[in-house]
Amino acid sequence: MSDRGTALVVDDSSVNRLLLVRRLETLGLGVLQAENGVEGLSVLSANPGVIDVVLLDVVMPELDGYQTLAAMKADDAMRHIPVLVVSSVEELDSVVRCIELGATDYLTKPINPSILAARIDASLAAKRLHDLEQESFERQTALNRTIQRQKEELSRFLSPQVAALVSSPEGEQLLAGHRREITVAFCDLRGFTHFAEQSDPEEIFGVLAEYHRMMGEAIIEHGGTLEHFAGDGVMIFFNDPVPQDDHVERAVRMAVAMRTRFTELANVWHHRGYELGFGVGIAVGYATLGRIGYDGRHDYGAIGNVTILASRLSSQAQAGQILLSPRAQMMIEGIIEAEDVGELTLKGLTRPVQATNVVALR
Amino acid sequence: MLDQSVLRELEESTGDDPAFVRDLIETYLADVPLQLKGIEGAIAADDSDALIRPAHTLKSSSATLGAMRLADISRTLEMTGRSGTLDATTRENANVARAEWSNVRDALNNWLGATQTDE
Repeated sequence: MSDRGTALVVDDSSVNRLLLVRRLETLGLGVLQAENGVEGLSVLSANPGVIDVVLLDVVMPELDGYQTLAAMKADDAMRHIPVLVVSSVEELDSVVRCIELGATDYLTKPINPSILAARIDASLAAKRLHDLEQESFERQTALNRTIQRQKEELSRFLSPQVAALVSSPEGEQLLAGHRREITVAFCDLRGFTHFAEQSDPEEIFGVLAEYHRMMGEAIIEHGGTLEHFAGDGVMIFFNDPVPQDDHVERAVRMAVAMRTRFTELANVWHHRGYELGFGVGIAVGYATLGRIGYDGRHDYGAIGNVTILASRLSSQAQAGQILLSPRAQMMIEGIIEAEDVGELTLKGLTRPVQATNVVALR
Repeated sequence: MLDQSVLRELEESTGDDPAFVRDLIETYLADVPLQLKGIEGAIAADDSDALIRPAHTLKSSSATLGAMRLADISRTLEMTGRSGTLDATTRENANVARAEWSNVRDALNNWLGATQTDE
């Protein structure tokens, strides 16, 4: 209403109201008026966010000053508006009661213009401070909502463990790079290249979507960290960023679950004329993990011989095979039925590797 | 009965606007009879609570305009209302208030007439 702010005068005496309104207007305020508490409250609710200070008489019909004050303090939208109680000198007891009820300050009648000006200045300053705090609170809330939404989106694009890592306090340190023993499982499809050559893109995407959904469920169930999907190839690691004592066992159990579920998918695809098989390579070893990439696009990745070994084993696996590296096999001997598949010569590795196929879980 | 300096101060502190003070006085002249009626009605009904509000309003508006004696009597009436017991003195005070009111009214009307001719 006015640059300096808007006051509401609640007083049943028309002489006092007239004078107070005039004095407030002289101070540069816009003024609304009410003849009693009931009217005052309805003016307040009809003008949300408009009124910066209320001058409240104590003795009034309908709803007196105490009741009006109590009603204001019980209302979230009015609670913060400063209230100056206007009373006569004989009523100082009631002033105390009003301050206890939440009034900001008081003025005695007849009103001294200088004291009025000082009280109004103080109240407007308090109100402005409150409004600024409110604004900053709202900005913070909006920011928090944005951050929350970003986290949710992030967890859709990244594996949940990595999304959590990015938004955690120690995230920066872990992202910067660290060395740890991990189990890597590398899965891909047999016959995928042939299938892709023969099929429409829609069919390829359809098959990949079913395959990835099945894989994704198994990854989550076993607590794996998905490093990436690359067409039919999927790389998952365990024991990072969340430490897992049983990381080899988890990887093997996940691979067996995937193989079982893959059989169902493969049957459906077989009826559509697609012949696809599923192979997995699993290896254990040390890798450096952290942020890999360049400004603008990073992955959370693992680098080390262990990832190469898992990938090579996967590419050597026949349809339905889960090939373990010698170390992986030693670490979980007790829980699997295994068959020796002999020494495999793997691309990029100088010595042949003694590999084992997981036949079943014990 | 009427402290003229109060009116002059009012005029100065509200921006030397005689029209505003006249407005204030006219509002007061229209209001007081209602408050006197309220006071007398409360006493006739022996209702001490009902006495408080009109006496209170009359007290503060009279003080605002410099009608100090009327303000004093109204204060006494308000206190009596708050004490909870009305008696013969209360009735007497109400009569004093009404008598004082006619003095105040005359004085204010004079004041209005005087400022009118000033312009």
